Amino acid sequence: MSKILIDRRAALAGAAALAAAAAAPRATLAQAGPIRIGMIVPLTGSGGPYGPVMAKAVKAVADEINAAGGVLGRKLEILVEDDQTNPEAGVRAARKLIDVDKVTAICGTWASSVTTAVAPLCWESKTFLATVSGADSITLLPHQGFLVRTQPNTTLQGRKFGEFALEQGAKRVFFLTPQTPFADSQFVNIKAAVEKGGGVAERLIYDDKKPSYRTELDQALAFKPDALVFGGYTADTTVLVKDVFRAGFSGKKIAFAYSVNQKLVDGVPAEAVEGIYTIAPSPAEGSNAHKRLVKMIGMDNPDPYTTQVYDHINLIAMAIAQAGEASGAAIRDAIRKVSQAPGGEKVDNALDGLKAIAAKKPVDYDGASGPCDFTDIGDIADCKFRYEQVKAGKIALVKIA
Amino acid sequence: MLAYLIFTLTIGGIYALLALALNLVWGGAGLVNLGLAGFFAVGAYASALATGAGAPILIGWGAAILAGLLAGFLVTFATLRLRDDYLAIVTLGFAEIVRLVALNERWLTKGADGVSGVRAPFKAELGVAGFNFFYLTLVAAIACLVWLALRRLDLSPWGRAAKAVREDQELARFAGKRVLRIKFEAFAVSAAIAALAGALYAHFTSYVSPDHFQPLITIYVFLAVTAGGVGRPLGALVGGYGVVLFLEATRFLAGMTPGLAPVQVAALREIVIGASLLAVLHLRPQGVFAERPPKAPRLP
Amino acid sequence: MTPLAQAILNGLMTGALIAAPAVGFTTIFAVLRYPSFAIAAHATLGAFAAWYVNTRLGAGVPLSVAVGFLFAALVGGSLEHAALRGLRGAGALTVSIGSIALNLVLENAVRFSFGNDLRGYDLPLAPDLRFAGLRVGAQQIETLVFAAAIMAAVFIFLRYTRFGRAMRAVADNPDLARLKGVDPERIAVAALMLGAGLAGAGGVLIGLDTSIDPLTGFRVLLSVFAAAVLGGLGSIPGAVVGALALGVAEELALLVLPATYRTGVGFLAILLMLTFRPRGLLGERAV
Repeated sequence: MSKILIDRRAALAGAAALAAAAAAPRATLAQAGPIRIGMIVPLTGSGGPYGPVMAKAVKAVADEINAAGGVLGRKLEILVEDDQTNPEAGVRAARKLIDVDKVTAICGTWASSVTTAVAPLCWESKTFLATVSGADSITLLPHQGFLVRTQPNTTLQGRKFGEFALEQGAKRVFFLTPQTPFADSQFVNIKAAVEKGGGVAERLIYDDKKPSYRTELDQALAFKPDALVFGGYTADTTVLVKDVFRAGFSGKKIAFAYSVNQKLVDGVPAEAVEGIYTIAPSPAEGSNAHKRLVKMIGMDNPDPYTTQVYDHINLIAMAIAQAGEASGAAIRDAIRKVSQAPGGEKVDNALDGLKAIAAKKPVDYDGASGPCDFTDIGDIADCKFRYEQVKAGKIALVKIA
Repeated sequence: MLAYLIFTLTIGGIYALLALALNLVWGGAGLVNLGLAGFFAVGAYASALATGAGAPILIGWGAAILAGLLAGFLVTFATLRLRDDYLAIVTLGFAEIVRLVALNERWLTKGADGVSGVRAPFKAELGVAGFNFFYLTLVAAIACLVWLALRRLDLSPWGRAAKAVREDQELARFAGKRVLRIKFEAFAVSAAIAALAGALYAHFTSYVSPDHFQPLITIYVFLAVTAGGVGRPLGALVGGYGVVLFLEATRFLAGMTPGLAPVQVAALREIVIGASLLAVLHLRPQGVFAERPPKAPRLP
Repeated sequence: MTPLAQAILNGLMTGALIAAPAVGFTTIFAVLRYPSFAIAAHATLGAFAAWYVNTRLGAGVPLSVAVGFLFAALVGGSLEHAALRGLRGAGALTVSIGSIALNLVLENAVRFSFGNDLRGYDLPLAPDLRFAGLRVGAQQIETLVFAAAIMAAVFIFLRYTRFGRAMRAVADNPDLARLKGVDPERIAVAALMLGAGLAGAGGVLIGLDTSIDPLTGFRVLLSVFAAAVLGGLGSIPGAVVGALALGVAEELALLVLPATYRTGVGFLAILLMLTFRPRGLLGERAV
């Protein structure tokens, strides 16, 4: 037995020696070959509908940058790993990207649980992390600046849902949502906004794997709402919108643009989705980033996660150029110099940004998901929202505000 | 690369513990536990919450073992009289209920947010790399201890009685073995080991959430036990490490399949995992380390 | 009173959706004595095949359901036979584990070919019919009719065809059946095809109501298990009753429990059932 148990002091000494050995080769290895950037997205499991197109968008941007000569004279190499929508698998994927591929940054983490699990590995290894996860708790982690998030937090977003419902003349708003990290805070913010306008709000949290939600819906309709807000993802929202149509609900329907996206609209009969409003973070009107992205991936209505990862990769590429060094710490220190330099040149893609940086001009990136200006803890400071409505099977822009 | 290897082997040790737990009930007493992820979750949450409330880490691990035992008793209380196939389905349901409770009882578990910042022992003193190495040895040592203990148990009269139950309950009962009690004990101890694995996992990655505990983990552990050899603790130990190394190795398939979209690579990877499990079941149903039937005591 | 009646009605409609896969599951169990996890994949396979003939070739609902049945039976059923036949000697649990692996392979084969995007059938939606303060979906009634028709076909097959009778004989007593000259291998194939086919047809019905993706079958797997156990493993009428009872229990529970625990209700029902009546509603002994 004593052969197996190592005494504690010996273990500590061994560990320290190993730590020194592990740290040494990193610095010397960095400068050769392509700049590697990791992506951890859900390709299997419940987040599966989102990951593939996110990966496609990031690869398209990287190809474009590489065709124009790369960053710092080096090509970008994108390494995509599947997190199976499971933090346990996500952590293993992150370790491989960080330790084997030595990526300087990871982008795209989707499920809040995966992001929360992966974040400590990133800040400990000084790898930069850009995420689309919505849980408010994520930017409160002690990430030392190594994390930014492009998804608006619930205070920014929940209020918009409430205010928009009021604007549509709704006084009784019902929020239907699966159990998510933001189910509570989203509702609190919706409720506050609705009550401020003299309305009332109620909610129901449902089980997101069921083939029908008739009784849940009966409970919601018993509240006599004049607006329903859907808080789920595509799979469960598909079931819900069909049941809502069958129930003959004639009030307003509002959803996240990532749930009622083009895929959902294509997948259900037009009458079930007709008139649904969707809300997504957006750049100011007139920004070209969104249009560029549409052209680049050949998809009319990229969902909000795709617009966000488009911004991740552009920002990371520019931050590396700005810093003159491809490392996580360099990206951390430079990211706000390219996302929001005061008086900087407005750019909406990395190609223009890289030219401006080469000309030593300050840069202020406005992306496809919003202005991408980050607070100190890595939340987006403010953004416009894109209000769209489903009309005859197409998602049509209503306004940007 | 070294850091990655250290990490992979640490996770391997945790899977080895889970495999040992499963081997005890499945290989030992012939009971199937498809709720392994549930017991894993119970332990992870018990320790994360206890240490979060200020308890020392060792107390947290103790709490995890206790919670595992308790959960094991609870599940077996209602189901042990059932036939195996029923037990399989009920334990599967147990895991789902644990996940639902963790997801919905926000006051206790912080809901879908999960519990982050779970304390990692000696991390401040050792630094990141030092801690990772320390934890690798710690998990390996615990896995080996559990293995040695289970091997002893396996060869003890209790172990032989358990296997008698596995082979033929009626005969075992006829031979005077207390069948129900043996099943009860096997199940509870196994649940406790799985819970300990959960606690070790929580303090290693510092985070637990309901998303961690999906049925896929249970499938991987079954792969570990079948590949290693059902009924032999050594098989489970090696199988646990082996399965994590194998899972990680399939990751490098991506480099060999140019021209496929990432989602196809991910699908291919899971196909390979499923097909391997099938292949192992077919080619080596007794596992790499086949069970050795104990020798009959020699008559004088 | 109305909410209660409405919940029961909703429950029957939800239950009808999982009845066909539950019967499929229990058929395989009755003949081959192992719980097959590959039912989930069979349901998905059927749903995708039906989606193809519906959206690409313009097939109507009855034809789509038939295609779903046939495809799942021929592809899913025979793959399950080929992949797991060699394991039957090693015991039911080993075969069951094998079926988990097979399910993983098939689910990902669908993902490899079609991706994760949601797909919907090309069918108009109709608003619910209302009477006496209750509402029923026109399509749910159609689903119910289909489910009933499928069940009736299964009953007729099992009761009045030679093959069906042989299958029942094997389920009741395999040794006796062998003595009587029934070829167990052929019966095994037939049971797997019937089981997988029923799961496939059920997958189509679920797809009509929702939308389909590689996880279509997996999402309802726990409910299918629960329904089969509730009705009594191995009992075909039991699986139908179990599915309907589970549907009603889940919807009724919503009136008192938070909706998020809906999946949990199925398992509480199982626990209660097994504690007080271990053989399920209509099943054999479970002890």
